[in-house]
Amino acid sequence: MRRDLTLWAAFLALVAVLPWLGVADDRYLLFLSNVMLMFMTLALSWDVVARTGQLSLAHGAFFGLGAYGVAIAFKQWSVPPLVAIAIAALACAIVALAVGVVTLRLRGIYFAIATLAFAQVWQTVMLQVPDLSGGTVGISMPPLFGGDRLASYYLALGIFVLALALSLAIRWSRWHYAVTAVRANETVARIVGLDVVRVKVALFTASATLAGLAGAFYTPFITHIDPFDAFSIDRSVASLVFPIFGGLYTSAGPVIGTIALRSLEEYLRVTPPWKDGYQVAYGLVIVVAVLFMPRGLIGLAQRAVRRSPWRSSK
Amino acid sequence: MALLEVTGLVRRFRGLAAVDDLSFTVDEGQTLAIIGPNGAGKSTTFNLISGLLGTHGGAIRFRGEDITRWPAHRRTRAGVARTFQIVQPLADLDVRDNVMVGVLFGAGASSSLAAARAEAERLCALVGLGDRLVQPVASLTLADRKRLELARALATKPALLLLDEVMEGLTPAEERAAIALLGRVRSAGVTLLLIEHVMSTVRDLSERVVVMDYGKKLAEGTYAEISRDPKVIAAYLGTDDA
Repeated sequence: MRRDLTLWAAFLALVAVLPWLGVADDRYLLFLSNVMLMFMTLALSWDVVARTGQLSLAHGAFFGLGAYGVAIAFKQWSVPPLVAIAIAALACAIVALAVGVVTLRLRGIYFAIATLAFAQVWQTVMLQVPDLSGGTVGISMPPLFGGDRLASYYLALGIFVLALALSLAIRWSRWHYAVTAVRANETVARIVGLDVVRVKVALFTASATLAGLAGAFYTPFITHIDPFDAFSIDRSVASLVFPIFGGLYTSAGPVIGTIALRSLEEYLRVTPPWKDGYQVAYGLVIVVAVLFMPRGLIGLAQRAVRRSPWRSSK
Repeated sequence: MALLEVTGLVRRFRGLAAVDDLSFTVDEGQTLAIIGPNGAGKSTTFNLISGLLGTHGGAIRFRGEDITRWPAHRRTRAGVARTFQIVQPLADLDVRDNVMVGVLFGAGASSSLAAARAEAERLCALVGLGDRLVQPVASLTLADRKRLELARALATKPALLLLDEVMEGLTPAEERAAIALLGRVRSAGVTLLLIEHVMSTVRDLSERVVVMDYGKKLAEGTYAEISRDPKVIAAYLGTDDA
């Protein structure tokens, strides 16, 4: 545990000084770093629900609700952007609690389908209430911190730290034993005294709040939201592909998975042979990863360490 | 005083009564064995008492309190624990962590991880898994999985422990060790309710025996009484006119 915390402290220190290592001077890199932190938050939040053995297809929608929540709160009540972000996150928590109480009695695939159904309705809902949502045009917001992307980077970092803290706190507390038992066998979890539904609802709510926070950061960061962007399938897919690629049920997995796949995606998008075809190459990488790295990049690394001739014998 | 009181218990599966008007009581400190042919409703009875299945009739009282509608986890926290006939270790957790889950969330509900870990280690040593603490559960032998099942149930600090065929698949030597272990558990003040096929275990451990057949109670008494009962002999061996 101590070694893990030391590594995370070192990682956070590096992320904190990253802008001063040249990233702040490059508009594109600074933009990408903001987005990267936002996706790491989303990936970490999704993994928290996965640890209870539940496949959530609703995290893209919670991101979208956060993104709309902040714009609506800002437009309707003219509150400062940071207050609007907090309101949006709170709204996501309330919606997630209600959805969780209803759907988390369902297990496995049935829960996944219920979350998919939940995710599907929001684009239509936003199109049906143009007075509130701006319809197809969406809502514009003034840029965060007057367009200062260095300041917004530190806000994104703060939100990421919240998600990381939740993920690590679960790993190093009684929650780790609760979620692992629930994931392994719900019947046994109940018989050792766990209120399985309550465990799942609590973590689903906390997780959706963080996904909503990531979305609430997004709108003032890019200054505009519309129904197609907010509830895009790409982001839904990213929320689960990043942690799966990096390594499930860990804190490092979602972070490393996001860095690896987002970087690859950006690289392919701007590199000549791929350009528009980048999504094909990107898709291939994911297929290969699912087939040959069941525990993601983290699993690959663990296997390498186990086989290493330099590993000290116990 | 009755620790567990089951009255008129009914559970049907598609109209067929798996447990049919079953009544019995277990006194505090007493050990009761439930025996009967396959399909008699023994495991269903355990599922009803532990709360994994809902009842279609009758009542379950624990320490005088009606727990018939309580969810399973609440019964565990009140002091009812069980093992499963088909052992169910939690994958992804090693031996000690499997037991820790019981310590952390059972009737003892410890909030300190260090204290829970120490208690789990003590229980592992008690059941004979002291040297396999960090072994993955997938690599355990059947006998060791049965030990783990018992340790995890004990970890929840039960007043009443339901044991579903803990002797099944054990060698005679392992069985003797297990009987000695259950004797120690009982002297520590845990009331035992067993489902058992191994008659020597029933004889050595239980003060009273309930015989079930077709979901109903066929007979009840001491081991000596029920082993002489013609109805019981007929249920096990069949009769000419059956």
